[in-house]
Amino acid sequence: MANTQAICKTFRVDLLNGLHAFGTSVVRAGTGADSFKMALYLATATMDATATAYTATGELAATGNYTAGGAAVTNATEPANTGGTGIVAFWTPSASVSWTNLTSSGSFDAALLYNDTNASDKAVAVFTFGAQSVTSGNFSLTMPSNDLSTALIRIS
Amino acid sequence: MLVQTTNGLIEKDLLEVRDIVADEDNARVMATEWFLDGKLVRRDVNVNILRGLDLNSEQEQM
Repeated sequence: MANTQAICKTFRVDLLNGLHAFGTSVVRAGTGADSFKMALYLATATMDATATAYTATGELAATGNYTAGGAAVTNATEPANTGGTGIVAFWTPSASVSWTNLTSSGSFDAALLYNDTNASDKAVAVFTFGAQSVTSGNFSLTMPSNDLSTALIRIS
Repeated sequence: MLVQTTNGLIEKDLLEVRDIVADEDNARVMATEWFLDGKLVRRDVNVNILRGLDLNSEQEQM
């Protein structure tokens, strides 16, 4: 069993169905962007492209200052679209995602980005980073530069 | 300066600190381990995601 980094397969059709709003230019009853979260998964979990939604299966236990469902993603940067060698749409959280005074229930190596506003907590992508453990300390996921080459989510 | 550990707040000068840097496929991991009498009492980790995921690349792999 292992976690594999991937954009979740259902994210594509969910985009076409308008189930995710990373920006504020939405045509809905409300115009606010959706809220997203990142949840952490044990190295023994099997999070990959087939993930469809947030699941507690394989997630870090809700102990040691880890809250089930993970931590909120700061979304203050509108998605952008630019050229270069092609047309690329991209988006990145505007701040690191972090946990403080954390003691992880086990070794973990993956984070699932999912839509917390969506009623089904629709999955976006799985990110892996090598097995880690945290003891009475801080864990932070620092985001990449928000550009067409390195942004966290890119659609080209 | 006091540091929060599994043994409570401990003066930083009493702890042995070890910094670790590891390069993963798509991330640079920086960890700081704090030891008291040889026992790990705190571990902080920062994962720097170097590059996100491209939907087009995923499709090509499929």
